[in-house]
Amino acid sequence: MTTAFSSWGMEWRIAAIRNGIKETMAYRGDFLLDLIGSSIVPVGIQLMLWHSIFSSQEGGTFAGMTHAELLAYTWTSMLFSQIRGGNHDFTLIELIRTGGLNNYLLRPVGVVEFTYFKGIGEKLITAGMCLTLGAIATAFTSMNLSNLLMGLTLALMGNIIAYLFGAILAGAAFYWENAFAVLMVKNMAVSLLSGELIPLSVVPEQYALIWKALPFYLFVFGPTQVATGKWDAAMWGTQMGIAFFWILLLWGVLHASWRFAIHRYQGIGG
Amino acid sequence: MRSNEPALFVRDVRRTFKSVKKQEGLQGVLKLLFRPEYQVHEALKGVSFEVQQGEFTGLIGANGAGKTTLLKILSGLIPPTSGDARVLGFTPFERSIEFRRQISIVMGQKAQLWWDLPALEAFDLLRALYQIPREVYRTRVDELTALLGVEKLLNTQIRRLSLGERMKMEVIGAILHLPKVIFLDEPTIGLDVLASKRLREFLRTHNQKEGATIILTSHNMDDISELCKRILLIKEGSLIFDGNPKTLIERDECTLKVKLLSSPEAAQVSTTLGLDASAVTMDEEDPTTYLIPIARSRITEYFQKLLANFEVADIGIQESSLERVIQRIYQS
Repeated sequence: MTTAFSSWGMEWRIAAIRNGIKETMAYRGDFLLDLIGSSIVPVGIQLMLWHSIFSSQEGGTFAGMTHAELLAYTWTSMLFSQIRGGNHDFTLIELIRTGGLNNYLLRPVGVVEFTYFKGIGEKLITAGMCLTLGAIATAFTSMNLSNLLMGLTLALMGNIIAYLFGAILAGAAFYWENAFAVLMVKNMAVSLLSGELIPLSVVPEQYALIWKALPFYLFVFGPTQVATGKWDAAMWGTQMGIAFFWILLLWGVLHASWRFAIHRYQGIGG
Repeated sequence: MRSNEPALFVRDVRRTFKSVKKQEGLQGVLKLLFRPEYQVHEALKGVSFEVQQGEFTGLIGANGAGKTTLLKILSGLIPPTSGDARVLGFTPFERSIEFRRQISIVMGQKAQLWWDLPALEAFDLLRALYQIPREVYRTRVDELTALLGVEKLLNTQIRRLSLGERMKMEVIGAILHLPKVIFLDEPTIGLDVLASKRLREFLRTHNQKEGATIILTSHNMDDISELCKRILLIKEGSLIFDGNPKTLIERDECTLKVKLLSSPEAAQVSTTLGLDASAVTMDEEDPTTYLIPIARSRITEYFQKLLANFEVADIGIQESSLERVIQRIYQS
């Protein structure tokens, strides 16, 4: 069992995830504060926005959505916005910039994959918490558990896409050393294009092509649509296929770009 | 890899670094933004050597000489600009999984174990990465921690350990998978005398027991003289000495320690021997003893001159230390 497990390379991946979780839990206060803070701020903005819009008009809808639907979207999207991304792409830049990558390059595993598995531990805890919260919410709302689980699966695929995309951009640090701005800009764009700040269904048709052509909607908007029952199981299947396509494409781009860029690495310090 | 093949093969390895030339002041910063100027630094200038399997070799040189660059090339972190480097028959920069399983590097100034985890957790992650069977792993951790006296610290977060304790854990982490080649970059930096000694004994034992090839970089000449039968001395990117440290000492000048019955000025002794006036000095520990630095090949000549010109009460030869020899080479 152990041998088969090791030969598939699962053992080190699980060990990396376990260590990532332990590292996160070493600073429980910071973890919880970050989790709560980063959930409440975007939700607060959305609630305030929808309240302002609907208080200025009697009833009605906004871009085809009622106040209740927008509130349901806001609360549900909070569950998934915490699963998307993570800071491990920032970790990669820091490793390249400071020469910390040395330690990872010499281990007998892929550096990008190792960093992902170490970083995903935190997000898996968050996903577990979201699932628990969501399961409780099913008792009081129209959301059902199977939809929630499908949404969560899509969000985890989104997490992989977010990391791959971030890791490709982090490769800029091989050229510029300090490339945090690239990820900051990416994160700002992702906040909007993932559906974290507003539901993408309210975006006018002429701009909709932008978010549809990019994978970011798979992070928050897609999972929320599935969890709230706006997208059915067939649509979920299609979106999983699209997510899989993006993962393959980005994996290829990541490998090619890092293979080339690593020649510029200087392993500073020592 | 064949048994008679060298563990390390380095032929005419060169490495240059290109970097942006930083300029002073606001004008310099603005110029840098639009028209950056580059500078090229040649860190290694055609280094060649071979190291046999199981050798414990010292790699020494002043700061910026190129030692760490060479270690980075040999461990596969960076490629050479030109030349051929092979470790255990592998081209390091290709970084094949098989190559990475057989080497290890410890950089004294960089933590390689995970800062926020206890050492035991970090070791367990290494066990999984290197696929060490659990039973073997447990025995090895017990043995290694006992040898270095850190068994009680296994559950302490790495960042909470003292520098010496952390370094010992780093070394254990580096050899847990029994690598065939170990690169140690200043492993005793910042350690007290006792901790350094214990680490040296540990490394010597490991080298003898496991037959690992070890390349040690250190500014502490006690490390080098106690552990290495061979040193590679690098100066400004070039290999200027490759051999036994004793040869280097014997090649260097030595000091004649002379007691005279009369008490002439040191300058007078210098002049009589045909040396610069300031060459001969008085021993600080014994003010009646003259210290005369001379080339080993001219000992007889100076003996004769001294006996011909002064009444000699006692005469002896003081060997140079490795530290002094190296210091003189750095300064030259």
